[in-house]
Amino acid sequence: MSSFSKSPWIIHYDASSCNGCDIEVLACLTPVFDVERLGVVNTGNPKHADIFLVTGAVNEQSKDVICNIYHQLPEPKVVVAVGICAASGGIFRECYNISGGVDSIIPVDVYVPGCAARPEAIIDGVVQALGVLEKKQAEMTTLANSLDKTQYLRAEKKDAPEILGLQKTAYQSEAEIYGDESLPALKQTLVELETEFARPEQVFLKAVVNGKIIGSVRGYSLDGTTHLSRLIVHPYFQGRGIGRRLLEEIEKSFSNVKRFEVFTGQKSERNLKQLHQLGFREFKTEPGTASITWVYLQKERK
Amino acid sequence: MSSWLSLIIYLVAAPIVGGLLAGWDRRISARMQSRQGPPIFQPFYDVLKLVKKENVVVRRSQNYYIFFFLLLVIFTGGLFFAGADLLLVIFALTLAAIFFVLGAYKASSPYSFIGAERELIQMMAYEPMVLLTAIGMYMVTRSFAVGDIANHPTLLVAALPGVFLGFLYTLEIKFRKSPFDLSCSHHAHQELVRGITTEFSGRTLAMIEIAHWYENVFLLGWVYLFFGSMPGLGVAVALLVFVFVILVDNVFARLKWQAALKSAWLVTVVLGFGNILALAIFFPKPATPAAAKVQPVTPTQLAMPAVAANALNTVDAEPARRN
Repeated sequence: MSSFSKSPWIIHYDASSCNGCDIEVLACLTPVFDVERLGVVNTGNPKHADIFLVTGAVNEQSKDVICNIYHQLPEPKVVVAVGICAASGGIFRECYNISGGVDSIIPVDVYVPGCAARPEAIIDGVVQALGVLEKKQAEMTTLANSLDKTQYLRAEKKDAPEILGLQKTAYQSEAEIYGDESLPALKQTLVELETEFARPEQVFLKAVVNGKIIGSVRGYSLDGTTHLSRLIVHPYFQGRGIGRRLLEEIEKSFSNVKRFEVFTGQKSERNLKQLHQLGFREFKTEPGTASITWVYLQKERK
Repeated sequence: MSSWLSLIIYLVAAPIVGGLLAGWDRRISARMQSRQGPPIFQPFYDVLKLVKKENVVVRRSQNYYIFFFLLLVIFTGGLFFAGADLLLVIFALTLAAIFFVLGAYKASSPYSFIGAERELIQMMAYEPMVLLTAIGMYMVTRSFAVGDIANHPTLLVAALPGVFLGFLYTLEIKFRKSPFDLSCSHHAHQELVRGITTEFSGRTLAMIEIAHWYENVFLLGWVYLFFGSMPGLGVAVALLVFVFVILVDNVFARLKWQAALKSAWLVTVVLGFGNILALAIFFPKPATPAAAKVQPVTPTQLAMPAVAANALNTVDAEPARRN
């Protein structure tokens, strides 16, 4: 048993519950059931939590909140749907404002039935969630250990949501450098990205480990020059040569092109240094947004 | 014991003792609420888990501030247990707390902002009393060096009862316990989510926990200082104070920050400053360290009020260094 199963921290959210299940969830903390003896802490903060307890069916107002909380939970995380409403929508399933159980929005790992779910059942659900948590932790470790088995493949349109999510994570460090949350890469929408996929001359590459995309780069060829952009690597896997490998791979896929062009911000010293190492040289600068001056770099292939 | 040895013991043992104290805290709290409570090693399980979790950040630099918070808390305790200057210890402690606040500000989230602001208010509340504690100890022992204070032959608490009580009051704030758990609460109160720690996760949160363990051991070490001449009693009182803090935590509801600030300063003025004023007026000639070392400690001396003992000590000492 690892430390994960000994210290499950919970965040509890009431989607649209009648409060029956909520009272039972809180009853678990009382002296009669005392889940704290299992190390359970009701944190109230998604960034500290491991287990996401949701009660009640999902309605239009709670939809975004659930997604938001789910994405704020650090990996590994487990979702437990408590009560029949959370599991399937229950008696509210057909209501005009209900989109169904929690699994209509986010992946659910454990379902706790009941109306209202009994405290014993909730505790049992949490204990089952611990097993899932352990499994996910093991998967994460494998992921980190199998970086040498990273595959570099062409990305397809169905990868767009995952790549966009990765892009927003990876560009956080850039946003910090420029103190600007409105970088084009952070503002891009899914529709825009999917349009990019539709362009015939565009090449998308992805770095995949165990089915999870951890890096990506894109480029298109125009008048004998390949314009490369959006070289992204998940912050967790940065500095391990994945970005360099992605650039090499995308250069290979434009075999008949002699000239490559990339751009980055003037303050992104790390990017500039790495591009220099790969043979890119500055040739022009251009004003970008209020905070950024774009630096263009080029590389000629012999 | 040489200062190096105690320093090394502190660096190694403080996280273990601090973690066990935190586990003990949760267990006692549970028993006070007639629950069974988690295992005593629970804080270690929590930290081990946090280390393995993903580290979600708003700004990456927020984690560096927390790293320096941990480093400076260890530095503070290190100075203290190495017997260095008490004033330097206080300044290092303040600097550590400031780094914690900066980390929370850096995360730019409304919850951690409120937490950071409340932490600053708490610092305003406890800093004067902490400084007065150091001054009070100086007035009795004529030294700011922790080593000298710990080896002083009289019982400091006898001369500084007001300062001791005032220090207890600030301990409630420093331990982040009710009624002063304004900036971040350890329990299920969720009005401010988790205040100052809201935006920290994974390894960084683990660092904050470990920093608290170091800090708690250091603070209990300071309680011990009031009883430096009787080590057994000192350790017992330090543990007793810890249990007292937990009791208060479970008995009281949270105060508003205005009340926390006002009451802390009132305590500082009445108990802390009053005690020091009385000491300055009624016993203007405390024992010099030289005289104190010559005089062997006898049971009779321990039995009589230490202030009186101080006065006796000075009789055959050289003219005391006044101003």
